[in-house]
Amino acid sequence: MKILVPLKRVADPDNANKVKVTAGKLDTTGMQWKPNPFDEYAVETALRLTENGASTKVRLGEVIVLTVGPKEAETQLRGALATGADRAIRIDATDDDLDGDVVARAIRAVVEKEKPDLILVGKQAVDGDSNQVGQLLAEYLGWPQATFAGTIKSEGDTALLVGREVDGGTLTLRVTLPAVVSVDLRIVAPTSVSSKHSPTHTYADGVRFAALMAIMAAKKKPMVEFKLSELVSDAAAKIAYTTHELPPPRKAGIKVKDVAELVDKLRNEARVV
Amino acid sequence: MIADASFLKSLFCGIIPESMAFPFPGPSRAEAEETLAILDTLKRFMRTVYEPQRGSLDSPISQEILTEAGSLGLFGLSLPRAYGGRQLSPTSFARILQELGALDPSLALIVRAHQTLGAHPLVRHGTVGQKARWLAKMASGQALAGYALTEESAGSDAAGVRTYARSEGTNWVLDGKKIWVTNGPIASVFTVFARTSPVEEGIKPKLTAFVIDRDDGIITNAGINMHGVRGVQVGTLLLENVHLDASRVLGTVGQGFMIAVETLNHARLASASAASGSARQLLDLSIRYARERAAFGRAIGDFGLIKDKIASMLSEVFALESMVFLTTGMLDGAGSDCSIESAACKVFGSEVLQRVAEGAGAIAAGRGFASGHAVERGLRDARHHLVLDGTNEVLRAFIALSGMQAPGRDLANVVKAMREPIKGFGLLGEFAVRKAKSALGRERLTRVHPLLNREVVLFEDYVSDLAKNAEKMLRRHGVAIAEMQYSQRRVADLAIDLYALAAVLSRTSRAIERRGEEGARREVDLACIFAASAEKRMAANVAGFDKNDDEQRKNAAARAYQDGAYPFELF
Repeated sequence: MKILVPLKRVADPDNANKVKVTAGKLDTTGMQWKPNPFDEYAVETALRLTENGASTKVRLGEVIVLTVGPKEAETQLRGALATGADRAIRIDATDDDLDGDVVARAIRAVVEKEKPDLILVGKQAVDGDSNQVGQLLAEYLGWPQATFAGTIKSEGDTALLVGREVDGGTLTLRVTLPAVVSVDLRIVAPTSVSSKHSPTHTYADGVRFAALMAIMAAKKKPMVEFKLSELVSDAAAKIAYTTHELPPPRKAGIKVKDVAELVDKLRNEARVV
Repeated sequence: MIADASFLKSLFCGIIPESMAFPFPGPSRAEAEETLAILDTLKRFMRTVYEPQRGSLDSPISQEILTEAGSLGLFGLSLPRAYGGRQLSPTSFARILQELGALDPSLALIVRAHQTLGAHPLVRHGTVGQKARWLAKMASGQALAGYALTEESAGSDAAGVRTYARSEGTNWVLDGKKIWVTNGPIASVFTVFARTSPVEEGIKPKLTAFVIDRDDGIITNAGINMHGVRGVQVGTLLLENVHLDASRVLGTVGQGFMIAVETLNHARLASASAASGSARQLLDLSIRYARERAAFGRAIGDFGLIKDKIASMLSEVFALESMVFLTTGMLDGAGSDCSIESAACKVFGSEVLQRVAEGAGAIAAGRGFASGHAVERGLRDARHHLVLDGTNEVLRAFIALSGMQAPGRDLANVVKAMREPIKGFGLLGEFAVRKAKSALGRERLTRVHPLLNREVVLFEDYVSDLAKNAEKMLRRHGVAIAEMQYSQRRVADLAIDLYALAAVLSRTSRAIERRGEEGARREVDLACIFAASAEKRMAANVAGFDKNDDEQRKNAAARAYQDGAYPFELF
């Protein structure tokens, strides 16, 4: 099975308090970048679906990671290569010129070249939280889609049984490949992903990390670059950001003397009781 | 004219080899990216595999965890690629050790003792056959390597080695006992140093290094219950009638002392790298605690004396880190001699960590006194850096005496040249020029940002003081300088402070060039704070060469030895 995983770099959530806004624009200089966690889950899912039983050397299929972004975003692609993806594609673009729609159309162009059997995406990126790319992509391709996957069972690599995380439980869909599937947090639980050729061991919870030797070997894996304009004729974004601002700093709380005062404030100031 | 291509040794001659320390070195973009990827993997490993299994950080690290660490690649970080290692550059290796020192000082010690002590002699002196036999197993972590030099009668004094390798045809038979072998109880291969000349009073033994498998008949005990780094197992090694063939000799017969010393030089920088990480960790804890802990209605961090401690810790950790990574940068490039630089890093690193741990203890107060608290453990763990890889007392002597060898050599040559004035004209001329130079002005430091001009003057002045006093001590004591430990200490402390200061000035200048004065405000502040405290120490050391109470102190101690105890009873 050939799987394409689009992957976005996001500001490191652990260092997010260092984000600066200058004149209504996000200032990304000196920011630390990480792969979007949900995209990492998608990579992990792809690796589990292409596992070749107990053999760790050769995959049953191919995992291609793709990003749309500047040269520096190759760091995140190489990270995915180190954990086991086979090759990488970067579509050169600056972050400011993108929205979910341009990204989806750019990926569609790559899909038409690569013809993967499955596209696995994170359900959303933790920076913009747009939750659009997977859905738009499925629509543009005219492919079936299953969003918010918490479990995936491959049926002979021609269809997938996808357990979707929905309110109050799990909704199970059978999607015929090729398809677009977006994954949620629980997809990286130890037994969430299975196929006929899954290894016998259970996985550790979470995504795998690269052995140190693999980090070096990843440098030798293929990485190709496309220009955004080579792939989409109309590269204009449909969403324009008018301004950015940081959330206002929290005001200091107040101390109340007793319950009576608390109730009074809740009733007359906060007006919640 | 650079003394043995060593920055610090050159300072002893009054020469500032600026190009060795400026600009502040750093890895290439690609290397930095790769190192960050390794750090990222390491952090994930620690969070998902290590921490859940580790239990108390005061318990021995289990075999299961060590196996996992091995399959991750931690035991081959610095070992040659040809044998499955990662062959990281000194800078990248130091960066990883720094992180390990922050995450768990015990793991850092296991990892660095294996590579920089146990395996290093094999990397440097092993034959192709020897490497093939052991290095791949060491790089994968399948075989941990131990370094067995210390004995009951031989610690920093390697000449006291009693373990004897008797030659039997082409074979060797070893008998003896080694103590303080880091990883001893769990290692399966050992580099063992034994004398290959019989014990003879007053004659230095010929040492030879051997590679010995546990299966060859080595017995190790279960390990010593230690004060700190309790995750590490350190034990004794018994060799009784261990028969080895000639393939086990590392290097050549009689080369052991050199191998032992060279390995220790290598290991000391690793000690300082790990110490800088542990210090950072304790500093971070202190900053958080100072912000969160409230007393008298405000955060304790608001109080001047807490700020003072945090500022001292910041400037010293900054200086230590700069010093370590200046040294690794020198090693990355053309092979400079960094033996005394590494020793300086080890002494400074262990003492900075000690002071930072004490500062953290003071800030955490009662909480940090509770058994098992991170600061309490940090205080205990910190101490191993003072003791291992050569005590700081011995290293100060090493720094001073090695450093003074260069001026000493010059002096000896000058005396010889004066006997034969015509032949020695060039040499005399050169010496005279340098004397004239140091009389007229200083060797200059030109590549520091002008914002730090005051610190530059300070540095130049004290370099000239170091050179002057090193020469003065040599003239005053001659070969007896080897016994003058008080003077040695002053010389060594001057040298260490100067090296740290050079590193700080170089790193801060780079920061200013990259980010401007405002952007580098933090570095500039810390550089000034460090320089001011170094100035106080250096001034005291320079003054001490001529005005001191050395003799009184010696006499007081000598009388106490006669008395056998503290001599007074108040009533």
